[in-house]
Amino acid sequence: MAIRELKVCLLGDTGVGKSSIVCRFVQDHFDHNISPTIGASFLTKTVPFGHELHKFLIWDTAGQERFHSLAPMYYRGSAAAVIVYDITKLDSFQTLKKWVKELKEHGPEDIVVAIAGNKNDLGDIREVPMKEAKEFAESIAAIFIETSARNAVNVEELFQKISKQIPPLQNPEVESNESFKLTQQPPPSTRRCC
Amino acid sequence: MASEHLPSEFDVVILGTGLVESVVAAACSRVGQRVLHLDRRSYYAGKWASFTFNGLLSWIEEQNKIPAIEEHDWSSQLEEGEDLIALSTREVSQVTNLQVFNYTSQSEKSRKRISYAELLKEGRRFNIDLVSKLLYSRGSLIDLLIKSNVSRYAEFKNVTRILTCRHGNIEQVPCSRSDVFSSRLLSVVEKRMLMRFLTSCLDQDTPLHYQDFAERPYLEFLQHHKLSENLQHFLLHSISMATPDTPTATALMATRHFLQCLGRYGNTPFLFPLYGLGEIPQCFCRMCAVFGGIYCLRHSVHALVVDKGSSRCKAVIDSQGQRISCSHVVLEEGCFTQNATPTRCVSRAVLITDGSVLPSEAEQQVSIVTIPSESPVRLVELCPSSMTCIPGTHLVHLTCQSLGSAFQDLSPVVTRLFRTPDSDHHEPRPEVLWCLYFNMSEGLGSEVSELPANVSICLGPDGSLGHDGAIAQAELIFQKILPGEDFCPPAPVPEDVLYRGEESEVSSSHQGEDPETSASHQGEELDGSPSHQGEEPEANPACQGEESENSPSHQGEEPDASSSPCGEESGVSPSPCGEESETSPSHRGEESETSPAPSGEESETSPAPSGEESETSPAPSGEESETSPAQLEDGTQG
Repeated sequence: MAIRELKVCLLGDTGVGKSSIVCRFVQDHFDHNISPTIGASFLTKTVPFGHELHKFLIWDTAGQERFHSLAPMYYRGSAAAVIVYDITKLDSFQTLKKWVKELKEHGPEDIVVAIAGNKNDLGDIREVPMKEAKEFAESIAAIFIETSARNAVNVEELFQKISKQIPPLQNPEVESNESFKLTQQPPPSTRRCC
Repeated sequence: MASEHLPSEFDVVILGTGLVESVVAAACSRVGQRVLHLDRRSYYAGKWASFTFNGLLSWIEEQNKIPAIEEHDWSSQLEEGEDLIALSTREVSQVTNLQVFNYTSQSEKSRKRISYAELLKEGRRFNIDLVSKLLYSRGSLIDLLIKSNVSRYAEFKNVTRILTCRHGNIEQVPCSRSDVFSSRLLSVVEKRMLMRFLTSCLDQDTPLHYQDFAERPYLEFLQHHKLSENLQHFLLHSISMATPDTPTATALMATRHFLQCLGRYGNTPFLFPLYGLGEIPQCFCRMCAVFGGIYCLRHSVHALVVDKGSSRCKAVIDSQGQRISCSHVVLEEGCFTQNATPTRCVSRAVLITDGSVLPSEAEQQVSIVTIPSESPVRLVELCPSSMTCIPGTHLVHLTCQSLGSAFQDLSPVVTRLFRTPDSDHHEPRPEVLWCLYFNMSEGLGSEVSELPANVSICLGPDGSLGHDGAIAQAELIFQKILPGEDFCPPAPVPEDVLYRGEESEVSSSHQGEDPETSASHQGEELDGSPSHQGEEPEANPACQGEESENSPSHQGEEPDASSSPCGEESGVSPSPCGEESETSPSHRGEESETSPAPSGEESETSPAPSGEESETSPAPSGEESETSPAQLEDGTQG
């Protein structure tokens, strides 16, 4: 099966549970005192989808969102973005629009956007009605889902939904841009032209 | 996005997000220092930044504005026995002679042209660098990117062509073996002469005898070697990138570096990052943030608090008046207005054109063009697939040391090589749609006479093509702050990072002592490359992967084998000396005789750039390409 690497960047206010969602998805683990971003440039998880394997490279904000200082390079080449808010914090939902705007400015044009209302295990102190959030997501053609990283609710589903929205692989000839990552070994030698 | 207060205590406070500052930030954070990284601007990378088209227009506007000087009195923040050093509250403008020409509006009848409205509409797809540089495939920036694993955040393209301008024509410079082979500009005799010359440049055992010429102009040396005018031009302007009076020793050193860089990634010595150079500082900033560094744009330092007794800076006052204590301060240049005078300047032009200066079948080329002149001009032409411009256009950067204004220095070249309303030639040349000229200072004179010992100043980009100066500077500053600490040790591979578990890589690597990485690291330094190769397959897979990706010293050695024009790696084989061996068997004999000695030497000492390892060279690259994908899979499963 062909492995397809998909970069996914996480957005959303500090403390809404971005890292918890990744942690649940990648390691099926939840930690109350997560000090998340230390040392994790991105995490990966490979899941089968149709005839492909989707290898998600999940980029966390590394705290750079805290003082509104995310660098444009964060968004480069992302196949999808997950914007997370906390259903118990109205503020975190209201800033969603800012994140959408920022994504439109800096993100790739064809990026798949998903909105995740996290902490849905705390329904009794909910501040954001699901209906409102869903309507907003629809208005920007985004995936919508409520999750609970703590209780492992809908986290896998979130990424399944993303997988479904990823456009099928184009002609690989076109995709290969002859750009490469630097590693010790040289990249596969380019075709010879004569 | 609630506004918060910054913590009030850090180990290192860094102002400015240029390349040097960002590398220092990443290096400090990586070994466990608490770093606060600020930039007064709303964007990353300062003078190293790249902009969207619209972003560039705003930047231009900003340069033309004279910012108001804010006056603050922070003396109330001082305690007994403290002094205040005020920083300039506005950016000292280091950009002058800014001129913009828009040729899109004068519409022509027949030709389909891109309109200004389209440039604006598609503006976000441009990434226009203020600085035009390339990465030498064996330069210190590439080595650092690989060693630190910061390279994971970026992608690169090869520069595909080295071109030069001669007699008003653009020609391709043959520099790799295959180029020389197929060049139509050279006669058979010239090809042989060029090969022999290039090979002997790299041959340490039968070096070129240039001692009599060391201080004399390189041109004289080339003439002495009876190289044809063709070859003199290529060797002087494009390969050594020197001027006719550059001393021979210097030019030969540059030539050697150029040749050693061939073939590591492609047919030319250079790489260019996708989305522009401005990505690189951002990548180092991300590494810093990943290890806990705190980032805050639109935020500055207004003053340094100096302890009178120790004359050390013990805190800074930020632009919100908050006192933040710290043990070290790193500042970008231009923080002190007093006596800040530019020493040297670079003249720059940025063009958006509608085609390549040398159209070819393969459309997506990244080219560097060397244009001899009183102050040699370097032209870098980027294609859309470099993600710096939109389809149907090319982005062109011109750079030279300033003699006059950027317009005076560069517009003659622009009108000659392109078509503008000022061009009077009738040759089919790409049209300029939009262009910008400016001068940028290349470092300021001594800004302040005396700074506290724990305050460092980072210089901005220099006019050279590579990044060695910036990286050397960053390492020096880092060593000053943390003597004896490892500079940017490898970050753990994503697959190895666990969120929890005290023994996991996260916590240990935070201290820069990740057992795996440091062990492998050491291993490399001790091992000579030959034995090392033998060992590698047996080693623990995870460890091995790290090794193959990260090792600086390893890298220093092993690539030399493939780098040398004798290395027969890859089908492309851009190495001149294979051919040489065909044409002159006697010479080849010499080489194989000498080969055992130097490699033995190498295993004990350190990088001996030698072309003699042709025998050993295929091994390491072949092995690595086998082992490291395996490592990746292991990681995911485990």
